[in-house]
Amino acid sequence: MSNAPILETRGLGRRFGALDAVSDVSFSVPAGQILGVIGPNGAGKSTFINLVTGHIKPTSGKVLIDGKDMTGASPWTVARAGVARTFQIVKPFSGMTVRENIAVGVLYKAQGSNRMSAALNEADQILHEVGLAGFGDRMPSELSTADVRRLEFAKALASRPRLLLLDEVMAGLRPTEIEPSLELIRKLKASGTTVIVVEHVMKAIVAVSDRVLVLAQGKVLMEGAPREVLANPKVIEVYLGHRYAKRQKGNE
Amino acid sequence: MSTLSAVKTKRNWQRSFVPSVFGVIAVAIATAVESHLPGGELRAISTIFMFIALSQAWNIIGGFTGYASFGQVVFFGMGGYFTAVVMLKWQFTFWLALPLSGLFAAAFAVIIGVPLLRLKGHYFAIATLGMAEGMREVVINLPDLTGGGAGISVPIAGKFAKTEYLGDNGFYFLFLALAIFSIIIGTIVSRNKFGYGLRAIHQNEDAAAAVGINTVRSKVIAYAISAFMTGMVGAGYVFQQVTIFPERLFDVEITVLMIMMVVIGGSGTVVGPLLGALGLQFISEYLREHFTSMHTFILGGIIILAVILIPQGAVNYLREGRRTKNYSLLANIRRYRL
Amino acid sequence: MDTFLQVTSYGLLQGGLLALVAVGFSLVWGIMNIVNLCHGAFVILGAYIAWEMQSWIGVDPFLGMFVSAAVLFCLGYVIQRYLINLIVNGPVFITLLLTFGINMILIQGMNLLFTADFRSIQTSYGSNSFELGNIRIPLVRLLAFLLAIIITFLLVAFVKRTRTGISIMATGMDRGAARLMGIRARHVYALTFGISAALAGMAGTMIASIETFDPSKAGKFTLMAFVVAVLGGLGNMYGALVGGLLMGLVQAWAGQYLSGTWVNAIAFLVLIIVLIFKPNGLVGKAFYAARVEI
Repeated sequence: MSNAPILETRGLGRRFGALDAVSDVSFSVPAGQILGVIGPNGAGKSTFINLVTGHIKPTSGKVLIDGKDMTGASPWTVARAGVARTFQIVKPFSGMTVRENIAVGVLYKAQGSNRMSAALNEADQILHEVGLAGFGDRMPSELSTADVRRLEFAKALASRPRLLLLDEVMAGLRPTEIEPSLELIRKLKASGTTVIVVEHVMKAIVAVSDRVLVLAQGKVLMEGAPREVLANPKVIEVYLGHRYAKRQKGNE
Repeated sequence: MSTLSAVKTKRNWQRSFVPSVFGVIAVAIATAVESHLPGGELRAISTIFMFIALSQAWNIIGGFTGYASFGQVVFFGMGGYFTAVVMLKWQFTFWLALPLSGLFAAAFAVIIGVPLLRLKGHYFAIATLGMAEGMREVVINLPDLTGGGAGISVPIAGKFAKTEYLGDNGFYFLFLALAIFSIIIGTIVSRNKFGYGLRAIHQNEDAAAAVGINTVRSKVIAYAISAFMTGMVGAGYVFQQVTIFPERLFDVEITVLMIMMVVIGGSGTVVGPLLGALGLQFISEYLREHFTSMHTFILGGIIILAVILIPQGAVNYLREGRRTKNYSLLANIRRYRL
Repeated sequence: MDTFLQVTSYGLLQGGLLALVAVGFSLVWGIMNIVNLCHGAFVILGAYIAWEMQSWIGVDPFLGMFVSAAVLFCLGYVIQRYLINLIVNGPVFITLLLTFGINMILIQGMNLLFTADFRSIQTSYGSNSFELGNIRIPLVRLLAFLLAIIITFLLVAFVKRTRTGISIMATGMDRGAARLMGIRARHVYALTFGISAALAGMAGTMIASIETFDPSKAGKFTLMAFVVAVLGGLGNMYGALVGGLLMGLVQAWAGQYLSGTWVNAIAFLVLIIVLIFKPNGLVGKAFYAARVEI
């Protein structure tokens, strides 16, 4: 096991015309940590994930996975390096059963087998882990919102990744639905997976992150321990606005 | 858990066994009736076999992968012209030209596939159509090589003829063999890892890439496989027709027929295009005989009805109906309408 | 030099006409994401209607054009409202197949009704032309060109200034939102398709005054419309104009300086090059993404 952080970005940036969706983002994640990423809407969180996983090519900076330069690599190359992700707007394979959805990921992971039956069995196991046991033969269109998010999670687990990027998996979930997902993330950490959780649901971030990164307007605003970051006035200002922050200050 | 896998293995075995038995019986019947059929019937059935092969080929790129190649006939034409030219100019035997034509078409598919498969939806469809029309013009404009607009003839008599003309019987079996070959390829692709990858690309290309599928490579390979099969069919067609012209070899109507068979039969399945080819050819022949002047008119009407009423194709419609116990056509129309 | 100018002016005149053929096609594709494979059939049908008008009632094609437009508008409206609207949410090739089927019926219908012989509309001023320096400019071609330009500008004004036009644009940009605001999308779609058919019919009338036509030419016009629409950017009316002029020029020059049928091959080559390098068109932005991101 190398000493390089599992993920490191240096000056990562992406420009769309005149807009810098992400600019000069530099940080690193040691293996086995859970990093929470927060920021107001439009802060560039999803773009950031896309840059790391290769769905969008950066216009500046570098992405290093396990110390290897993966800047601008294609998504499948990044996936084969042991990185998996979920999509904010879920992307199930609409014509396949839930089990087959996961089995595809098992088939195509690095050193994956070629045998469908083995993949389907592994898929059943993963269904158990995410709480979708018994749903294997359903079609994605038949699932509830919460369940389809679990499917998205399950698809990302199919390759037993070393680095998992979760893009707002908790959005729209009821509190009772959030807790099992948090449990799953904790279990993943226990088995050595590094998890990057991009979220709006602050409760989840606080409950599960080792460290928190704050993005605002495409740049890193700050980084640190969860409670510290969330109490920081600059972070509050960026979420709730300048006037709110002033009012808070006025109340002190 | 072990009983579940036992049940699954038995079901898989049934899935492979039953169709194989049907297939063997069908081939046996086809072989047996051959000697009893007059020439015209033999040729008509040969055409059905030809379209079975063509629609299976199209299904791989259009049905499984979801990239609707509207210029598929370009491989038919390239394969066909390859055979004509090497048999005429360099006295190849047909049996050597046949597989080489497939390879030639596949190579062409790789070359144009890399840029074209980056396009989506309508753009890919019409870009391939433009490619097919363009290659026809190229062939017309290279008369020294291809005979240009005046056509080219495969040598079947005299010292240049290295392979004896197969005759109605021979071509019947040739196209039957090509049809069987295409169904086997279609089945293999459908069942294995590659086929699942293609389906994943079709159903959600971003997600497919995210789970480790090299979408560029998979698409190009699918395109090349379908081109290989199409090219060989073109080669067989050219030998059968002896004299060929660019307008026929690159006729967009051939592509449209291929697509119709796959779509009406049920795209993304192996049985679908098979049924579609059988059904549509019978209907087309019937119309041609009994309603010669209105034949295109009625065929157009059939296409419209089929596309509106059963857009997912007959086989998919039946499978879904069996699964959801709902066969309502009205529900079918509601699914895609505005 | 004179030849070059002659060929160039010819190309521009032809280009204006191509633009008119393409502008409706581009509108339908841009607003509704429908590639209408029977567009060329509409063009030819428009030509036939004008021809019939002239041979029965002796109406000049530039007036008969309005009859063509009216008839084709109705036809287009009905086709969209009761056929194409039924499969609008389906995958790409379903729409292509449906419009192809309609195309088959229209062409065969015209073959049966009008027979497949070549026709053209003769007018008293048909062979007039005037000289601009050393260049000969046929009168009918010039009229057709000017009309094409005017109609394109009128269409843009319609789409930007009138309430109906704006609702068409809105439906194209976000159908769901438009419907929530009370816009009847089924009707708007049908209206758009009807307008597109009407424009095609008008173009057909003018083409009939310039060259010979018959049902088999329909496919050529559909493909031309496609190339010009892609060149100009989908849904972009001015773009269709620019694309048409460009295509007219390319074809004229190719016809002059290259042998015979390379002209057609050039058109396809241009199409493929544009699709690969600038799928959003040379001029404008498309409504729908052409390329896979990966």
